[in-house]
Amino acid sequence: MSRSVTPPEFGWRPGLRTGVGLGLAVFPVALSFGALATTLGWPPAATIICSVIVFSAGAQLALLTTLTAGSTLFLALGAATLINLRFLPMGIAVAGSLKGPAWKRALGAQTILDGSWAAAYQGAGRYDRLTMFGASAVQWPVWILGTVVGVVTAPPPTLVASLGLDLVFPGFFLVLLLDTFRSTPRAPWIAGIAILLTGGLLLVAPAGVAVLLSSLAALVILIDAELA
Amino acid sequence: MTLWVAIGVLAVINFAIKAAGPALLGDRPLPPRVSLVVQSLAPALLAGLLIVALLGQGWREFDWRLLPGLTVIGVLWLLGRSQIVCIVAGVLVTVAVRALV
Repeated sequence: MSRSVTPPEFGWRPGLRTGVGLGLAVFPVALSFGALATTLGWPPAATIICSVIVFSAGAQLALLTTLTAGSTLFLALGAATLINLRFLPMGIAVAGSLKGPAWKRALGAQTILDGSWAAAYQGAGRYDRLTMFGASAVQWPVWILGTVVGVVTAPPPTLVASLGLDLVFPGFFLVLLLDTFRSTPRAPWIAGIAILLTGGLLLVAPAGVAVLLSSLAALVILIDAELA
Repeated sequence: MTLWVAIGVLAVINFAIKAAGPALLGDRPLPPRVSLVVQSLAPALLAGLLIVALLGQGWREFDWRLLPGLTVIGVLWLLGRSQIVCIVAGVLVTVAVRALV
């Protein structure tokens, strides 16, 4: 694909800049979580601590909705875990790019967030850990601040849509997906299969499971390698 | 009490899921076929994340008014514009479409 553009920058500073953009999308989601948790009767301290130590929109919302709907602890944790299982293949993908002993790599891996992980992709299976650290370093305090504001103010959920902020995440993923078309062999084919797979799975499975299983599309590259 | 236990256990599970790959695999080179698959995880997962963010579970969050904004993002990407310009333009188009429709 021909496209005249400067190569993407990697490192702490570009990571922080990306984090600011992602923070714009993260803030209203955190705000919604704080507001919803308050409405459903979670104590403010538990809601805020949850954002501090879990720091995962999908898992937190799953825990909130299942627990308040009367689920058992086991089922609620199961739902939240399924949503976060997508971080397993993401962690495997960045494993070679994190440095130091096991405990240090395990700590570094805590900065794996959808947007940060995607922004750190350099192509050919390589990830820039500093970009990932920078992008997540901005999003974590924004996530906590958004939760606090949500708990305190409880604004209407229509605010995000009216500001067009619900486009930020899909838009960001689209740009990064298009970037992989330049760096990864057979990326358009893999993406096409993942889109069909995920779209179908969303009708019958939780969103976290659908994302997790979208990674199966990566296996197409093996068929391609066999044919070659 | 159940709520606090749930939050604590979820935090531990979340930590373990993220840490598993980097802590166990380290920077050991992967077998060539596995390495090939790992390289291909980015477009697969990004496409999955895009569709989930757009459609939501059971396609209940799908809003066609996001499509013009996404189209603008795609066109600007083809024209070589920066990531932030693409996103801001997409957001503005989405606000405009929602104001009109």
